[in-house]
Amino acid sequence: MRLLRALCGPVKGPTIGELTLKYSNLPERYVRRAMRQIEYQTPRGKPQYLNRTLERTIFKFSTNRPWTFEFQQDNAPRKKIKRELIEPIKNWSFFRGDRVEVLIGKDKGKQGIVIHVFQEKNWIIVEGLNTEIKMMGEDKKNNFPGMAVRWEKPLLVTTEVKLVDPSDLKSTDIEWRFTEEGEKVRVSVRTGRIIPMPPMAEETIDYKTKGSYREGEKDTDPDELSKITFEPKLCTFDMEIMEKMGIKEDRNYAKTYWY
Amino acid sequence: MSALCRRIPSLVNQLRIPTFAALKQQKVILSSLPTRVLGVNLFSTKPPPSINDKLMEFFDDPKNWEQDNIKTGRSWKLDELRIKSNEDLHKLWYVLLKERNMLLTMERECQTEYRVFPNPERIDKVEESMENLETVVRERNRAYFELETTEPAERPGKLEMNQIGMRYFYKHSEHLIPKVMNRKWREKVVHGYEGNAVKKFLRLKAEKLRDRESWKTHSRRRYVSRIFSEYPDADAKSLQEAFPDVDVEAARKHIDARGNHDKNLN
Repeated sequence: MRLLRALCGPVKGPTIGELTLKYSNLPERYVRRAMRQIEYQTPRGKPQYLNRTLERTIFKFSTNRPWTFEFQQDNAPRKKIKRELIEPIKNWSFFRGDRVEVLIGKDKGKQGIVIHVFQEKNWIIVEGLNTEIKMMGEDKKNNFPGMAVRWEKPLLVTTEVKLVDPSDLKSTDIEWRFTEEGEKVRVSVRTGRIIPMPPMAEETIDYKTKGSYREGEKDTDPDELSKITFEPKLCTFDMEIMEKMGIKEDRNYAKTYWY
Repeated sequence: MSALCRRIPSLVNQLRIPTFAALKQQKVILSSLPTRVLGVNLFSTKPPPSINDKLMEFFDDPKNWEQDNIKTGRSWKLDELRIKSNEDLHKLWYVLLKERNMLLTMERECQTEYRVFPNPERIDKVEESMENLETVVRERNRAYFELETTEPAERPGKLEMNQIGMRYFYKHSEHLIPKVMNRKWREKVVHGYEGNAVKKFLRLKAEKLRDRESWKTHSRRRYVSRIFSEYPDADAKSLQEAFPDVDVEAARKHIDARGNHDKNLN
């Protein structure tokens, strides 16, 4: 049955979070390629085979990013993984740098800054809150118990945290609304104040702000990029290139039939 | 064959391109001459690149060989390519093609040397740019053909039935004689089906597809119910948007939606 199910037509892969791609500066195509686990593929271009691919469609997401080695270990081949229950969220409203209040656990009522977002699991990590103590680097031979490290555990955005209103520093429900300029903003339901987007939300793994991005050797100059060189002309791409390169086509072609 | 191979060096000697200094001695009017011959700039004082230099273009810059992280920008977007002229796109295509060749060579080289290929997403960025560029060229050609000839610019094709009653896209090909005269083609390519065996096969196939579809619908409904059992305060609106064919209210009242909390509806 599993084989039959896997062979049934094209399967849509799991959705990868928009913010995950944005923060990592990676194209979605690469992430999908890095995640892909093909078990069997029918030979292509042969009449006796239909185009079928047997590949993993259900993945275990965690704090390990989908293109990392740890993620591959979590989803090792032939490992049985149950489909996780993820509540779909229409408008994601937690970003890096936001001040949030924790609603559960021993840090209930405390406020902190969001440092990581895991959209695939509806998770965020708040700096220094909701921690457990882990012993790292234990060495039994030398009788070293290891070092105690505070390890932040992820929090569920739907029930376990709330955004903080900057006007009175208390937790609030929010709503997405449009300003008069047509900008989409988060508004506190209680006070009606706008919750501004933190500057940390713009940050990616390569740069802090868009302005501070350093151009690489192979990057195109922005002036060159925005220059309009296209002039509409009544010819195809090939015709214009042939004209530019001085190639003339004088041969007469025989009449052909397409069927 | 060996004679031909032996003759190649002498041919190369004959084709040797005169340098700027040599031309000056001959007192030729330079302005009437082409500036480039066989891709070599006549006016450069540097010696022409050797075959080894050209082959090394398949490899990355040596200063990048030892690096773990090579930063690059993003790929070209469709809107950025649409404002560029055909000539620019033609040049950009070869820039991208050379870059892709270099990246694939480096990836292969890293494999053979047991090293980690840094930033493999560069390949995807280049290929995405190439796909976008091809889309723009196709758009332009289609516009010309639709305006001038009212015919499609691409290779024509049609959805046809094969002999076991399954639909497939048949790509047309170019022939010198019309269909009526082409007996060989008519024997080879047969569209449409007949016979009881095919009918039976199609009936069974339809049943299988129907079963699969019903299984999928059921599993989608069950998934929505299980979300309510886990998260009783889940947003029904966004669930309805994510699963448009599921009756979310009914799924909420289903026995599968019962969870370990006091918010159960049934």
